[in-house]
Amino acid sequence: MNAVAGTRIIALIGGTAAFLIGASLFLVAIGRPPLLTLLQMVLYAFGDGYSLSESLVKATPILLCALAVILPARLGLITVGGEGQLYFGALTGTAVVISAPTAPMIVLLPAMLLAGAIGGAFWSSIAGLLRARCNVNETISTLLMNYVAVLLVSYAVYGAWKDPTSLGWPATIPFPKAATVPSAFGTRAHAGLVVGIIAAAVLHVAVSYTRWGIELKVLAGNRKVAAMAGFNFIRQTILVMAIGGALAGFAGICETSAIQGRLQGGISAGYGLTGFLVAWLSGQHFLRAIPVAILIGGLIAAGDALQLYSKIPSASATILQGLLFVAALGASGLAGRRNARYG
Amino acid sequence: MPEPIVTLCGIRKQFGSVIANDDISLTINAGEVLALLGENGAGKSTLMKILYGFYSAEQGTTLLDGKPVSFASPRDAMAAGIGMVFQQFSLIPALTVLENLLAALPGAPWIQLRASARVHAALRWLSRLAPNIDPGKAVRALSVGERQLVELAKVLNLDARVVILDEPTSVLTPAETERLYGFIRTLAAEGKAVVLITHKLADVAACADRIVVMRGGRVVDAAAVGDRTPDALVEAMVGSGAVGTLRPPNSPASDVPLLQVRGVSADIEGRSVRNISFAVASGQIFGIAGVSGNGQFTLAEALAGLIPVSSGDVILDGVSIASRGRDGAIDQAVAYIPERPLDNAVVGELDLAFNLALREVRHLPFFPRRESIMRHAEALIARYNVRPPQPKLLASMLSGGNLQKLVIARELSGNAKLLIACYPTMGLDVLATQAVYREMFRQAADGACVVWISEELDDLQSYAHRIAVIHDGEIVGISRSQDADRQALGRWMAGHGREAA
Repeated sequence: MNAVAGTRIIALIGGTAAFLIGASLFLVAIGRPPLLTLLQMVLYAFGDGYSLSESLVKATPILLCALAVILPARLGLITVGGEGQLYFGALTGTAVVISAPTAPMIVLLPAMLLAGAIGGAFWSSIAGLLRARCNVNETISTLLMNYVAVLLVSYAVYGAWKDPTSLGWPATIPFPKAATVPSAFGTRAHAGLVVGIIAAAVLHVAVSYTRWGIELKVLAGNRKVAAMAGFNFIRQTILVMAIGGALAGFAGICETSAIQGRLQGGISAGYGLTGFLVAWLSGQHFLRAIPVAILIGGLIAAGDALQLYSKIPSASATILQGLLFVAALGASGLAGRRNARYG
Repeated sequence: MPEPIVTLCGIRKQFGSVIANDDISLTINAGEVLALLGENGAGKSTLMKILYGFYSAEQGTTLLDGKPVSFASPRDAMAAGIGMVFQQFSLIPALTVLENLLAALPGAPWIQLRASARVHAALRWLSRLAPNIDPGKAVRALSVGERQLVELAKVLNLDARVVILDEPTSVLTPAETERLYGFIRTLAAEGKAVVLITHKLADVAACADRIVVMRGGRVVDAAAVGDRTPDALVEAMVGSGAVGTLRPPNSPASDVPLLQVRGVSADIEGRSVRNISFAVASGQIFGIAGVSGNGQFTLAEALAGLIPVSSGDVILDGVSIASRGRDGAIDQAVAYIPERPLDNAVVGELDLAFNLALREVRHLPFFPRRESIMRHAEALIARYNVRPPQPKLLASMLSGGNLQKLVIARELSGNAKLLIACYPTMGLDVLATQAVYREMFRQAADGACVVWISEELDDLQSYAHRIAVIHDGEIVGISRSQDADRQALGRWMAGHGREAA
């Protein structure tokens, strides 16, 4: 036990060091003072109330999409469909708003959020059903369905749902106040984060302490034994995919409603894929995904701020994010090997 | 006069608080088969793994050709001419037999050249050991017995002078076992030293020259084979007075069938059974004999309701249980001990406690109480002597024999109406075998019907009430065991003669 904890600390230190070295080399290469820039990034990410709120804004969909990866992973499924589920949830949630834009908030807001979650769940369950019934690889199917969902949203906002008053800009009508997810303290940080954190806690308890958690472990470990114990792989596959999809779909409609204010193309800055990476960085652990998502959200927010104030292209932030992932995964991989050898 | 190749002096090895080897000394001679005899957990495998460089000893020295050596890894041991065939094989299932053999050679080639001298050399031992194995076949497609032969060929290809075999006959059919015995004698005749780790007296009688008996991590007896009677060896292995006599269960009072199997046909990946019919009364033990791989696995899975039957029906106490999966009503009524427990009966990533709770897991409360699961597990572990007795250990950490005990503990813990036991004592030692039989008989005495699939004809004849023989997916004949004639059963097993025995 101690050896494992020790290894984890070594991995953390090693990963951080590797990231700092890599990031410094990159910043030197583009002609920026490395230490100062990195320090600036920390400040832009978490330095004041506004920065922090912007980081949390980014962290929200990332966390929800990470949960959408972690839950299926507990059944041994690898999904990369967060992006598509997010877009499809945005689409179905928006459909509610468009069909009843004047409904009162007490009806419209819950209906919209529910529709978003159901949309994501539906989109994800298709891949679940294909996996469970026809043994279609869920990684491939979720990946391909991402393109379909993104293009469906484009189709809608360029076509039937285009706001006639928007002078040709491909977007729906602005969401009414009654369909806007409430935000906190006058910032853009919204209730979606609270839902994400509660969902992470509930899922953690569910898979760690309930009979359902045992069922997932047995199904993931040995399908034959699961059949002997009376567990149903098909039902559970569809269930975990649907729950995951609902969370990602919820992220999609929240992003549309609270941040964009209308449905348009490009509502997600790759949150689905980032969520996938966060899931791996956190070791497929629901609670650990929360700080990791906030950290990555901060990195993305800092990248935007750097571009704004320091005239560094925001792609730099993506590059730094990539370096962070490689450093972290590399360090934990090496630590795992060390454990296997001496543990 | 045999010359010692390896001498072990005062070897000691401790795992945690358990002393696996305590001051062990022995010699291994060229041209001789040494049987290392002992119960599960006596420390035999540990000792040989120390010699093989897999573990390092805390105390003691190893002499090779009179010079002290210490192997840091199996690679070093192999370079010095010591090879070991493990119970768990180290072949790569996706590769062909030939590729596996080539990959084991030092400086394995990156590019394979067909029919090169290297290929020829790689196949040298295989063609002697098992001429009927196609080297182009994927290892995945081989039977367990065939895999063992490939593993042995791999070791011999490395020019091993000392060949260590860990429980080699526990996975072989009787015919394969006979062949292996012959081959072991040939190896010894060619001057190789063979160490046979076993708990079976039959192995010792068939091919050993010298015996070292271990018990509880110590050497308790060492002698030439002719100097010890089987009874003396059993006593040395298990300690005096530990083996009781086993009473076969009484014949059931009534012949009214509780289990009726009617014309069942089923198939798993081409291994099919056709038109199987028999009936078993409450309290009756129905043995199914046959060379393994003749449809036993398919039949057992079909009886347990885990695979669909293509025709026919299985009726237990008036209810059809065929093709139902294990949903709802039948799961408590059927206990099933499948073959290969690691693949078919346990979840390696779960701890022992949850593996033991799997039969009742669907009836647990939504928030299961860990203490009660642990208590249940501790009781079963103690009763069936599963080692190590740690309910929080992952099941994948257990040895084969202990896994078997774990599955038996779980499946026999309920009050099933039907018990299906496939090779339930495979890999178990004398005491554990007796314990399993006793539990099986108790189930029968409590009114369960028992379907017992086995290759141990002697045991079937002694303890089963009736014996059926399965060959090529069909039941060749059924006989009451007191009328059964061994010759006839043997003919049935080979697929000849359908008339009564």
